[in-house]
Amino acid sequence: MTISSNDFIAQSVVALQEAERLRTRKELGKHMPALRTRAVEEFGDFEGLREHVANVRQHALDNLDYYLPQFEQQAIDNGNQVHYARTGAELNDLVLSICQRHNARKIAKGKSMVTEETELNHHLERAGLEVVETDLGEYIIQQAGETPSHIVGPALHKPEAEIRELFLDKHPLGPRELEDPPAMVEEARSVLREHFLSADVGIVGANALIAENGYSLLVTNEGNGDLCANLPNILIVCTTMERVLPRARDAAALVRLLTRSTTGQSISCYTSYYSGPRRQDDIDGPLETHYVLLDNKRSDILASDYKDMLQCMRCGACLNHCPVYIGAGGHAYGSVYQGPMGSVLTPLLSSLEESHTLPSACTTCGRCAEVCPANIPLPDLLRDLRHDESRSKLGSGRWRVSMKLHAWVSQHPRLYQLLTGLGVRTLHRMGRRRGGFSRLPFASGWTQERDFPAPQKDTFMHQYRKQAAQDE
Amino acid sequence: MYWSFDLTPTQGVVDHLAATVILALSATPLRLVQQKDSQPRMSESQQPQASQRFQVHLFVTCLADLFRPSIAFNSIALLEEAGCDVTVPMSQTCCGQPGYNTGDYEATVPLAKQFIATFEGADYVVAPSGSCAGMITHHYPRILEGQWHERALDLAARTFELTQFLSEVAGLKRPIEQRSDVGSVTYHDSCAGLRELGIQTQPRHLLNTLCRADLKEMERTDVCCGFGGTFCAKMPELSANMASDKLEMAQASGATTLAGGDLGCLMNLAGRAKREGIEIEVRHIAELLAGDLATPAIGESSQS
Amino acid sequence: MSDARSDILARIRHASACLPEAEVKLALSRLGAGPSATLPHPDLAIAFLTNVLKNQGTVDIASSRSEAVVVIGKYLYEHHRSRKLVAGNDARLAALPWRDAGLLPRFGEAESGELAALSYAVAGIAETGSIVTCTGRNNPAANNLLPEDHIVIVALDDLVERYDEALDALQSQRPRGINVISGPSGTADIAMHMVHGAHGPRRWHVVLLGHVPADCVEHAQALAGLANERQAEPLPDA
Ligand code: SF4
Repeated sequence: MTISSNDFIAQSVVALQEAERLRTRKELGKHMPALRTRAVEEFGDFEGLREHVANVRQHALDNLDYYLPQFEQQAIDNGNQVHYARTGAELNDLVLSICQRHNARKIAKGKSMVTEETELNHHLERAGLEVVETDLGEYIIQQAGETPSHIVGPALHKPEAEIRELFLDKHPLGPRELEDPPAMVEEARSVLREHFLSADVGIVGANALIAENGYSLLVTNEGNGDLCANLPNILIVCTTMERVLPRARDAAALVRLLTRSTTGQSISCYTSYYSGPRRQDDIDGPLETHYVLLDNKRSDILASDYKDMLQCMRCGACLNHCPVYIGAGGHAYGSVYQGPMGSVLTPLLSSLEESHTLPSACTTCGRCAEVCPANIPLPDLLRDLRHDESRSKLGSGRWRVSMKLHAWVSQHPRLYQLLTGLGVRTLHRMGRRRGGFSRLPFASGWTQERDFPAPQKDTFMHQYRKQAAQDE
Repeated sequence: MYWSFDLTPTQGVVDHLAATVILALSATPLRLVQQKDSQPRMSESQQPQASQRFQVHLFVTCLADLFRPSIAFNSIALLEEAGCDVTVPMSQTCCGQPGYNTGDYEATVPLAKQFIATFEGADYVVAPSGSCAGMITHHYPRILEGQWHERALDLAARTFELTQFLSEVAGLKRPIEQRSDVGSVTYHDSCAGLRELGIQTQPRHLLNTLCRADLKEMERTDVCCGFGGTFCAKMPELSANMASDKLEMAQASGATTLAGGDLGCLMNLAGRAKREGIEIEVRHIAELLAGDLATPAIGESSQS
Repeated sequence: MSDARSDILARIRHASACLPEAEVKLALSRLGAGPSATLPHPDLAIAFLTNVLKNQGTVDIASSRSEAVVVIGKYLYEHHRSRKLVAGNDARLAALPWRDAGLLPRFGEAESGELAALSYAVAGIAETGSIVTCTGRNNPAANNLLPEDHIVIVALDDLVERYDEALDALQSQRPRGINVISGPSGTADIAMHMVHGAHGPRRWHVVLLGHVPADCVEHAQALAGLANERQAEPLPDA
């Protein structure tokens, strides 16, 4: 991660200048909300569903002390090995040691935000292992040496032509056209198929862990997750502990909500439940299966006022609906988590010092909270993070002091009306002819991009007071 | 509400203060210092008469107070037309949104308390701004505790945005012959009004029943214009990108007027339209509903 | 490593209510199953077929096992000019009258590049237009994933309305894996352009086996919005 989250503003300005990518993001911002809206309308009682799942997840989080051990016991009974990792580094070490124990050389990996968070690939590669991302989007950015720009569509930022160049460069297959996306998908399919068949270890994430029966749920459209989970001899599921749901039916309810919010599908092509290793009569399936459950500050969040954020199901709807994300692009966030959910999660998972700009990258328009399937009050959480920022004096001192000044003056109505009256009349006199200002000394942030409309002749309070005096 | 502007990087707080003072001195302070007490003296001439009438306290909102008093005057006219007795508490200032949205809850709390104390005597509080009304109804209860929390909830139940109040509470109607032509209008749903208060049908309904308006809906009317209070000054490029998108959609609707219920958004849009040379009149809904087209649109010259 | 475990569990206990088991169970029992999706048609079969079509699947209906074999043969011939087929060691598949269509599947695990695999679903879900298979001898996971075409037979009697019903029904069996499949493998990762056959099957064909009205496919097509194209065709000049 070379981009720091606190470079958000500078990075977003760069992103706004990349015309083609900006156009793509605007398409995304137009189409994904439309797809979601249609899916929600077709469902029927979507609000009821949302509330139901929020209640179930709230219950699961409130009683995680009960459900996590329950899941663990069931998973062990199913033949899995369950490991815990307090930090990303612990997860990486655990995974590496499992791989090394089996003399693994090649790892086929499904899409997993948790391992993006811990930068597992680097860790394994440094130890000499070959890691192949198999989700097409992840594969593309892995080949390009880039980071994801969208939690669901990690390569959405890459234009078709760039992907073509990338494949021509990385796949030693001789001269060829790769004329359109189907041709490129076809090529990736055959390259990745070989990797699936020769991988020693499969690593996948989980969309849910089911406490009552010890299964994990994985949702994909490509089917790559199932290939990773079934073809190699060793399977490692890396996930975080707040994914636990009490019952199988809760996983079904989650899927209803998740896929409609993500892509507008009523369900994704593959929703698969894994219990554990190959059984006696089975022809295929992994011989050994592991869960690595990561904390990495989740238990802190669980105990904090930001607990609601643990309900996030990584659907990406808040990104698709966020005009700031659409403008700034995912990379500006300097994090594997972007958009509104990223602006909340990144400071909580790293530190506010490293990412205090993110909570301000928001107009609090509330469109994210409106569509968030987990009912997370994202703007409130962002504002609360600004509150934390303000208390720990991390942001710009000028802003802080001018806010204090404004609040102080506002508490003294007469002084307030005196000062505003003077200012307004001056501005009016200066600006009435043109109707506005193209530059103002104390509003350079405003006038950099827009004119400042001149005020009418006096403040309302003065005019009203005068009028009333005349009436008397 | 939002009027704390970005300081240029070379300028410090001291410059900011100094400039405020210079601005103050350069005008005519004496007359103003002699202002008498700022209690709601004005209301005496509008004492409640019939018990049927709605007793409304108008929260002017600081942006309308400073930059566009016509919004407040038109709001008063509309409320009176709807049979309300309107009081303007003279000690009102700002609801505290700038501080609140930048995370300075500590500075917001005294303003919230001051607001509640000033307005809680009212039957109804009406504000010509969705975000200011939303601040009172949604956010005061969030940051106040104990007895103040209760008082905040109590006031919240009686606080309305202007179009919401006119259509849902006062049920303002106007005979056809008194409806004036306001031309083709596209309505931008400001975020706080839309999502915190559910304001969407009310302004459109009023435009259709109080005026003769040719409503032309723009695409994605629910997407933010990029104002966001201090956001527009902290992240001007992103904000401008959003404003341009909004203006593009407004233009594509074919309407000649872009209306909305929040002055912050409208100043942002009008200012951006001017900067980009986009021809569209930007107006607050209260002006249209009152048929006040004589006042120059936002950002237009007042000398022609 | 047990350190990490006890550490984490201690932190969780610190942040949790630590209610007695009975109370947790009681609270859970109050949380029902939640609403499911509105079916596109009250008839389960039509609803199921409609949603399969919406999921980019293709459908056939067969009123008898013999007919099922025939439509599968036809499908194979149409798409591959072939009679090759792999199927899991599923007794229900083995018992089909294969000779009626001149087919003889290979029973076992699909290999990479296989043209078509056949599965016998343990359930079909009307709500989502999905079929359910369980990994194991009857249906190796590879059979769902490696072939170009995945053909699935679902018995009418095995249709359920809700997604969670299908999962609950499998609760006692505890299969190794439960695969709920709802379409051919797809990706839109390149330029948001939907392409089928990302990793898994390029086509997904569902055969509904049982006595259903002959016009229910047409019905489903209309509901899935597929009949529009036909209707939009200009009428011939008469
Ligand atoms: S915060 Fe909500 S909308 Fe955003 S990714 Fe998480 S669940 Fe989806």
